[in-house]
This record gives sequence, C-alpha cells and structure tokens, in this order.
Amino acid sequence: MNIVIDGKECRAEHGEYILDVAERNGIHIPALCHSEALPGQGNCRMCIVEIIDNSRRKIVTSCSYPITKEIEVVTCSEKIKKMRKTIMRLISARAPSSDLIKQLSEEYDLPPETKFKIDKEEKCILCGLCVRACGEVGAHAISTVNRGTIKKVSTPFEETPPECIGCGACAYVCPTGAIEIEEHQGKRTIWNKTFELFKCTGCGDYFMTQEQYEYIKNKKGIAIDGLLCDKCRKKSTGEKLKEALCNVVIKGK
Amino acid sequence: MSSGKTQEIFSYTSSILKEYPREQRFLLAILQDIQKQYNYLPREALTIIHEYLDIPMSKLYSMATFYKALSLKPKGKYVIKVCDGTACHIRGSSLIIDEIQKLLNISPGDTTEDGLFSLETVNCLGSCALAPVMVVNGKYFGKVTPKMVKKIIDEFGGQNSEDI
Repeated sequence: MNIVIDGKECRAEHGEYILDVAERNGIHIPALCHSEALPGQGNCRMCIVEIIDNSRRKIVTSCSYPITKEIEVVTCSEKIKKMRKTIMRLISARAPSSDLIKQLSEEYDLPPETKFKIDKEEKCILCGLCVRACGEVGAHAISTVNRGTIKKVSTPFEETPPECIGCGACAYVCPTGAIEIEEHQGKRTIWNKTFELFKCTGCGDYFMTQEQYEYIKNKKGIAIDGLLCDKCRKKSTGEKLKEALCNVVIKGK
Repeated sequence: MSSGKTQEIFSYTSSILKEYPREQRFLLAILQDIQKQYNYLPREALTIIHEYLDIPMSKLYSMATFYKALSLKPKGKYVIKVCDGTACHIRGSSLIIDEIQKLLNISPGDTTEDGLFSLETVNCLGSCALAPVMVVNGKYFGKVTPKMVKKIIDEFGGQNSEDI
C-alpha cells in the first residue's frame, strides 16, 4: 500500500513501522531509543508524528506504530515540533549529563532548567534498550529496579552480576552513553566486573571477552571459526568467496 | 543468617512451589505467598524460585522492587500504614506521620530496630470519609489525631518496645 509522509508518497508493507518507512524514503524522524536491531521500543517518545486517517488526527510514536491502512503522516509540523521540544525538555531534565542530550538541548534551544529538581550526574533516560539488549543476548544480567522517580537500571541486589558475560551490548545500544564501560590493557570493566579480552588473530586488536567466547560456543552452540573480530571475519569471508568464485571461473574455462 | 533459618526458608519455599505449576506466570502469586509468610522476600527464597521457574534473577529483582506489596527488607511484626491520599493529606496526615516518626524514631519505609514496627505511607485506602486514616496490620483507625497515635502504638506493645 501507499502512505503519504510529509507530502511524499511512500510504499509500505502491511505492519511496517512508520519510522522504518520514513527512513527508507530519506525522511528523518528524530529518535533516541530506536535501534535497528531492537525495534519498536517506543519509550523516549521523541519520534512522535501526527497521523491523519480520514480527517481524524492523532499523535503516535512512529517507531512502534504499524501501518495497517493508507494514512497520511506529518512528521515536522509546528504542533509536533512544539510537543517534541517539551519531550526534549523533560529528557534533558532527567539526564543533563549526557553529551548527546546536551547537544540536543542546544539544538532544541532549551532554556536552562529551573522548574525541575535535576541530578546533574545523570545520563540515563530510562529507555530500557540496554535491558532489552541484555535479554536478547540471553544473559539477563541487568533490569530496571524500583519504580517512579527512583527507577533505575541496575543489577540484582546492586551486586556484580554473575550472569554478565561482558559483551558490552548494553553499552553499545545505549543512546546516551550512560553505561560505564572501560577498556584498558586487554581488560574490560563493565558493571563492576573485569573481564580478560581475547585478541583477534587477524589484526591483533582486543575484541571479545573470554566469557563471551565460551557463552557463544557452549551455551548457544555456535561454532566459532577462529578468533576473528568483525572486520577481519568479513575480510576473510570475502577472500574465501573470491577464491571460490575464481575456482569456478577457472573450471568453467 | 543462621543455617536453621535458611533451612526453614528453603523448606517453606519448596512447599509453596509445589502448589503451583512450574510456569512463570505464577511468579507473582508465589512471591505474594512468601511475602505473606515472612513479611518480606528472603534472598534464599528468591534463589530457589529463580532456579525452579528458570527466571533470570534480574527479572525477579526487578519485580520484587517494582511492587509495593513486596519487600526485600524484613518488615516489622506490625506494619503501620498511614494514608497520605488527598483527603487524608488535607486533614493532616503529615502530622500523624511526624508523630509516628518521633515516637518510633523511623521514617517511612523503615523498620524499628527491635523489628516490631514498620512505617509506610500509602496513596489512598479508599476510606476518605474517615480521613486521616492509619492501619496497623489490617486494623483501621479513622479520624486519627496526633494525640491518638501514641495510644494506638501502645495498643500494639509500642511502649514496652521503647523501654527495652
């Protein structure tokens, strides 16, 4: 079916999220908690858009609204901009210490916060992406703890989690850089736990924790072909493919 | 914690678990049963549930901290709930809370050292006509004044606990 986003006709499959269709068509919708690997989070509310369906209008989060009929979408009207600014103001009051949030606050031209009591050290906007990433990996080492104003992301009993494999997925997906991860001399520290890192046999860079390696091999049962980092693996696969193709061509001759 | 107590928690939790099918959806009911027995969720019990239902510890901890009905800290023998809803608030519930704090030397969410009393504030008990309301282990006291607080606490052995 076809939907109209900001006056542009776009092709969309049934059930696709508005945000994905817009991105594909070069229309940018701001979002914080959106990750391609973990879609449909809908927590930061920055990606709100207005949809018009038979002259009925409503505001939805574009990252979690599936398209089921031919609608019109407005992503950047004055009304939406104003609402987004309010959301940005709340997020900025929540996590003023994050560099990205600071930058966005400037972009949105926010005045200095006077209304809310703010924690100047806070970086987390509680989007929950890290918790989801940890769950998808299968470690389930972190979760949201408490609720209301004292809600936070933490480990069980605030202790070093035995389940953590140091993969760093939580820190990787975090949009605001709120999860502390440090790498120093072949050691990675995250959630107060220090891991030994393996070196890539290709380029010699540290890239994976021992626990991560064992987890992938033993628990997930995925065979690891040599200790190669992402870049080197891609390179090696490419070379193998090239070789195979050459062989085919030579044999063909 | 003594090993006898650990043993007791282990056998009680196991007996609770036997009453439920081994499915994650019964988790809240199980936690409520354990909370009812001990007035809090002992860590040993959580470990057993984590292994039995194959639920990540992080999820259990998240749930135990989310619900107000569940507590990870041991609670007192008598749980004092003071309503701080709109009606009670207007009718001076904060004075009641102050009085209890003064008498028992604890703030909301805490338990007295002798383990006799816990103080909690709740948002509404649904009996606004009796405002301000306080409840001690299910017993309701309506139209409470700061003067009455001492009497109510004494009724539950508060004075003795203070002497000790």
